[in-house]
Amino acid sequence: MSDTFQQHPETAIEVADMDFHYGESKALKDIRLTVPRGRIVAFIGPSGCGKSTLLRCFNRMNDLVPGARVTRGSIHIDGVEIHSPEVDPVELRRRVGMVFQKSNPFPRSIYENVAYGPRIAGTKSKSELDGIVEEALKGAALWSEVESRLHESAFGLSGGQQQRLCIARAIAVRPEILLMDEPCSALDPVATAKVEELILDLKRNYTIVIVTHNMQQATRISDMTAFFYLGELMEYGATTKIFTRPERRETEDYVTGRFG
Amino acid sequence: MPQHTPHIIREFDQAMRGLADLVISMGAQARLNLARAMEALQQRDLDRCKVVIADDTEVDEAERAVDAAGMDILLRFHPVASDLRLVISSMKIAANLERISDHAVNIAKRARKMLAKPEVREVRLIEPVYLLADGQLQDALASYADRDSEKGRGLKERDQELDRMHKRVMAQLSQLLEEGGELSESYLHLLFVVRSLERVGDLAVNIGEDAVYLDRAEDIRHMKARQQDTDA
Repeated sequence: MSDTFQQHPETAIEVADMDFHYGESKALKDIRLTVPRGRIVAFIGPSGCGKSTLLRCFNRMNDLVPGARVTRGSIHIDGVEIHSPEVDPVELRRRVGMVFQKSNPFPRSIYENVAYGPRIAGTKSKSELDGIVEEALKGAALWSEVESRLHESAFGLSGGQQQRLCIARAIAVRPEILLMDEPCSALDPVATAKVEELILDLKRNYTIVIVTHNMQQATRISDMTAFFYLGELMEYGATTKIFTRPERRETEDYVTGRFG
Repeated sequence: MPQHTPHIIREFDQAMRGLADLVISMGAQARLNLARAMEALQQRDLDRCKVVIADDTEVDEAERAVDAAGMDILLRFHPVASDLRLVISSMKIAANLERISDHAVNIAKRARKMLAKPEVREVRLIEPVYLLADGQLQDALASYADRDSEKGRGLKERDQELDRMHKRVMAQLSQLLEEGGELSESYLHLLFVVRSLERVGDLAVNIGEDAVYLDRAEDIRHMKARQQDTDA
């Protein structure tokens, strides 16, 4: 199955002419967007604009919502249409990891939280799992804070540490793309700064798509920004351009805080 | 300033309006200082020289006020897009206006020194240079206040006329200076006055460039040099 996806050199995600419905209600209209490999792309827009819906399309999380479906167009990841029959959604979600708004560690130890994914993916060897856990926790900039208490409950960690644990859990299965749905919205400024630094660090190995309501965060960490409004992609381009000279009035009004 | 969709936070709109108003009134003060310096020169008016020199502190204070207001907006509201450009261009324009007012002071000081010497007819050579420089300054300020990028963009070309006139007058004054005589020192002062007015024209061009950036998010500075780099 993993051979289904071939690394496309430049494009990680390609969305073409896509519509998406929740039952009868159209949530996304005619979306066309390319996520370049190795970049951080921020999705911004007012609540209900469809940005999280699109994010969840990328690893078919919406399959789990009754009546939710892509009704037109396509989403290619590494050149493969993700709704095609040969794509296993479970394998897709391994390749396209996700971090949610609220940290959601399992009620297990720190170690078990990170080892869970690799274990169900077939890694049995203790030494191999130890190596993966250490690598993932280091990748999530958490190792030095937890190495002496790996077998303690994940719930003993602070909010920011729990979110970084969730990032470690996501990268433990070595995905290529990380989706983040407002990953810092429940964190204090210091924890937010640590997660943002981590996200920038992760860019070396992953393509990242992040939904954020924090526009300063979008300007700080993203290379590209997409602005959504009422289910439409209004404008997409380099973050510096979106925040200094947006093309559309709607974008300008939104990023400058003039959206009534 | 042109009307904008109101910001969700009313205080933000007030702060932005306040910033632009500070720059516009600073521009008016700098222009007034320049006009008074010219009057002082032409009318050999010592009191007016003193007023220009004293009023420069108001322009200096205005520059500090613009910077403080800009910093406050950056700190409190994190402006982006055209709002960010307004803050940046306002602060840069304030720096240019402060230098223009310094040139008004230079002219007033030269005028004061000339009072010790007999009147020179050649002061009349300065008037057309001033009119061109002040016209540019007026339009530069209008291009900022009205967000008129076309007006701002046109200043660079207009400045060439000022440069040509500056060279002509400099040549005339230099010749008079070479001829020597008791008026030589006054001719030397006039050379510096013309030089200041030419610099006012350059600073007006800078303001115009900032107005283009404000209106269109286009950086038109040093276009010639950049074009040559591209061609090379």
